[in-house]
Amino acid sequence: MMEIFQEAASGITNRYITDWVNSGKKIVGYTCSFMPPEIFHAAGILPYRIRGINTESMEIGDTYYGPYVCTFPKCLLQLAGEGKFNFLSGAVISTGCDAMRRLDECWRKTGEDYHGSIPGFFHYFDVPHKTDPHAMKWFENEIRKLILNVEKYYNVKIKEDSLRESISLYNHGRTLLWEVEKLRAHENPGVSGTDAFSIAVSGTVMPREAFNEQLEQLLADLPKQKSSSKKSGKQNKNGNKRIMVAGSINDDIELFRLIENAGSNVVADNICFGIRSEADQVNMEDDPISALTKHYLSNSVCPRMFGAYKQRFDLLQTKIERAGVEGIILQNIRFCDLHGSENGLFERDFEKLGIPCLRLEREYGPLTETGRMKMRIEAFLERMEVKQTDSGGKS
Amino acid sequence: MRPEVYEYNFDWMLWRTLEAASKVGDGFDKEFKQMLPYIPYFSGIVEPFINLGDPGSAFFKMISEYLKNIVTAHEQGKKIVMTTFCFSPTIFYAMDIVPVTLEALTVLASVMWKRGATEYMDFCVELGFTETSCSSQRGCLGAYLAGMGEEIDMLVINTAGICDTNANAFSFAKTFLDKPFYSLNYPASLNDPEVNQYHRDDFKALIKFLEEQTGKKLDHDRLGKVLDEVAKQEAIVGEMEELQRLVPSPLPVTYNFLIYGGRFFFAGMPEYTVILEKMATVVRKNATQGRSGISSGREKLRAFMFYIDHYALNLNLWNWFDKREINHIGSILSRSFKDDSPYIKGMEDVAYNIDSTNLDTMIDSIAMINSRMPMVRSIRGPYDRPNMWLEESLALAKMYKADCLIYNGTPGCRNTWSNIKLIARDLEKAGYPTHIMYGDAFDDRVESWEATAARLDEFINVRGLL
Amino acid sequence: MSIVAGCDVGSLTAKAVIMEKGRIISSALLRSKTNPQLSAEAVMQEALSKAGLSMDDIRYCIGTGYGRKNISFVDKDISEIACHGRGARWLNPGARTIIDIGGQDCKAVRLDKDGNVVKFVANDKCASGTGRFLEVMARLLDIPIEEMGSLSSKSTAPITLSSTCTVWAQADIVKYINSGHKIEDIGAGVNSAMAKRAAILANSVGIEQDVCMTGGVAKNEGVVQDLEKLLGKNIKKMRKADPQIAGAIGAAIFAMESLNGRS
Repeated sequence: MMEIFQEAASGITNRYITDWVNSGKKIVGYTCSFMPPEIFHAAGILPYRIRGINTESMEIGDTYYGPYVCTFPKCLLQLAGEGKFNFLSGAVISTGCDAMRRLDECWRKTGEDYHGSIPGFFHYFDVPHKTDPHAMKWFENEIRKLILNVEKYYNVKIKEDSLRESISLYNHGRTLLWEVEKLRAHENPGVSGTDAFSIAVSGTVMPREAFNEQLEQLLADLPKQKSSSKKSGKQNKNGNKRIMVAGSINDDIELFRLIENAGSNVVADNICFGIRSEADQVNMEDDPISALTKHYLSNSVCPRMFGAYKQRFDLLQTKIERAGVEGIILQNIRFCDLHGSENGLFERDFEKLGIPCLRLEREYGPLTETGRMKMRIEAFLERMEVKQTDSGGKS
Repeated sequence: MRPEVYEYNFDWMLWRTLEAASKVGDGFDKEFKQMLPYIPYFSGIVEPFINLGDPGSAFFKMISEYLKNIVTAHEQGKKIVMTTFCFSPTIFYAMDIVPVTLEALTVLASVMWKRGATEYMDFCVELGFTETSCSSQRGCLGAYLAGMGEEIDMLVINTAGICDTNANAFSFAKTFLDKPFYSLNYPASLNDPEVNQYHRDDFKALIKFLEEQTGKKLDHDRLGKVLDEVAKQEAIVGEMEELQRLVPSPLPVTYNFLIYGGRFFFAGMPEYTVILEKMATVVRKNATQGRSGISSGREKLRAFMFYIDHYALNLNLWNWFDKREINHIGSILSRSFKDDSPYIKGMEDVAYNIDSTNLDTMIDSIAMINSRMPMVRSIRGPYDRPNMWLEESLALAKMYKADCLIYNGTPGCRNTWSNIKLIARDLEKAGYPTHIMYGDAFDDRVESWEATAARLDEFINVRGLL
Repeated sequence: MSIVAGCDVGSLTAKAVIMEKGRIISSALLRSKTNPQLSAEAVMQEALSKAGLSMDDIRYCIGTGYGRKNISFVDKDISEIACHGRGARWLNPGARTIIDIGGQDCKAVRLDKDGNVVKFVANDKCASGTGRFLEVMARLLDIPIEEMGSLSSKSTAPITLSSTCTVWAQADIVKYINSGHKIEDIGAGVNSAMAKRAAILANSVGIEQDVCMTGGVAKNEGVVQDLEKLLGKNIKKMRKADPQIAGAIGAAIFAMESLNGRS
């Protein structure tokens, strides 16, 4: 069962993508978790979260992007230039952060130089960085613009009913992911962090119907566990430390494997591509567009929502309590100042609460620095092993 | 940070330096020359400014006043707002709030002190703020996070989604200092009707926030006065910027620094108007005589810095231009895009107007001014869209007869480093030799000024520009 | 006999320490070879032969350092962060903050009063502020690395050096050499750039006294003195043994504890 998810999570394409393309249907890529995939689903188009996995070189990425830029968008561009995303008929570039929004220009220019590397439908999706009422209005307008453009380009009609159906289907997926989240948070984790993350990543690159179906089956096959009555104070029977991973974007399950292989269970995470707030359902009572607007913007899960640190801190704290997290690995891709700096604040605040934190700077892409990362992670787990007598220090 | 650095507050130290600097020009020339050896640490910056005559020493006085306002704000019962240079201080002056503009203060430290603001930059890193973040905020920010400045009462920015690393610095400070925060957030385009409405709504919400923080209602008369002053200032700037199109340009090379510096510090305040008037007198005189503003009186080349300037010690960038008889015809920081500015022709869509008829028109005006500030105006959307970075750079390069274009920024600039190669390619295609500087405008530890200058020379020589 | 050993295979050098009853009876330090196993064998062999022992005499051996997972003869491996902490503690029982500058990275570790690691940070992804940086600069200046430290006290006008990038710093150094700057002024600038880098790390773990330095760069008095100035704290000299072998000492102490069934 897990193989389907592992396969989908480990490569750019998977069997579902191949089938989808072979049956002549369209796929549209998108770059940010603030983009509602329900819109494309409702149009009969497969929404595909664009990934940088398995990038082997960076000559195209480095040709268009400058040197002081995060490796994630560079990897996306590299793969785009290599034609790895040629199965996409469209792409939506969001204003996730400075480097991600410039993928718009970088990809367009790459498209001029590498023939065929740019999809026909190419849309710039401008997402506000706050949740004030006028920003909500702006975002709703952006969603409407996106719908209009999709309808025009693909010659389809996105009806309210089908949008509602898509929302319901995605909501069901969220419920299932939440089941996974409960299992991994169990005293005796029923799913490893690596597997849970594979499932979450798969959800962004598989047709939702198939994803839901496979996940339902997986959940049915997994041994039933008695629910844990204790909310916190969980300790693993295998002696592994219970870790939460947070910070910069990641879709590489090897990062989770590396952390777990060092002697830990990743019982929670807060990462783009991971399971962040899947418990929140899109409101089915509301008008669908307004419900999507509220759902996708008001969750200030990413530090791109400036000034909303408190919300994110609270979210992490909820996860810590629910999953009995004993230590947090706060990773950021070099040049990701948004996560990198927020990690500094998380470290300050969670260490104050007695939860050990490890800040880790890394590159996105092939995990070439596994040695360095492993050394830090192991030292961190060792540090957690020993009960300290005092915290000391001025910071 | 070294323990000694904790001895004096950052803002206080800057203020005392500037206060002293502003007075050395008051005496006779001989007294001034006698004085210089006693101020070895900042004679390098004082001398050229005093040599600029009236505008130079008035500029020092203005900054000194600005800093004094910060240091004495709480004594005077005023609130202090931490903000960015992309934000026009006009609304703060209209509401009697004292702005601390991070980047502007980092610049002061960089150009005046041998060590610049680097120790404060490193202090931010010690607190967990990433070292890859932009040095322009990190310098001054470090000092305030270390508690070495007047207490900040609130933070206001307008860079979210345009310069995320900038917005992120303030967001970090908001949490660290635990203070109220307002973020104006601009859409990717500049002037669709819906965007204008959005600008208006957002600015109204900001005013509400400021009223809550100060406990005072916005005084309409005062807002009107400040806006009228801005209009007056921009008229003088517009005149100078029109004369700047002459070959040779009658503006001394540092004038663009004084123009935008003044705008960032004191837009809407009479102190700035005084300086502008003094500058305009010099410019008009040069223009009538057909004289270049360069010290030697000769202009060999015209360079347009299409992003920001470089703030090495003693304004070395400007000295470099002046010595090589190259005129600096401005940067992204230079122009305000007011509707009656001569360079607006062909770029009318970008323009703003000032209309102090009633409260609504005033709020519209001030929201427009703010949305036309550097960076938030032209690097908000894809660089090759209408009114954005490429179009604006090409229009200005053409209008001001640039011979070459130079990019300078900081390694913290995620936004421009993500498309500088693209725009440079386009500018070259349009026939402009284009140079990319890889150093850091505020931190010469990244690349020493000497190395930066050597690369600039290389560019000028290799491209056969001189 | 309860003889134990610690073997620290770093990126530039390999170190071995043999201990008996809490005393060092032999140690060795070699330049790292092409692979960690070879380095470990060679350095261990040297330490053993100095003490007139063979591998069979070692009751317990712990490996640490970058290459620790690839040493065949160790009983267990522990991260160098914990080992440097423990080693520094042995060198100076009052040690609470340790700045370790090795060949490949620079770390700051804070210990609790029992010597457990409370917090650590390491510089990431960059050779600046590491032993490698110093080595590259010494080579450019054409002086032995051992003499880099003494340049600081000879200098009257240290240069300011880029502290962020080894590659750019090299370009700057070449420029300074060509423009006739004195070697000691350039060397002093290099040391001070190293110190600045390390000070940021030390300050971010939060400093508690005593502050100690381990790793090869601890022997560079120029860096040490600059760091003292930057931190405003005295850095305790550790004379009991070479601070460069602190990691191996820590590993040997962990070995002893394992043998005694503690820890």
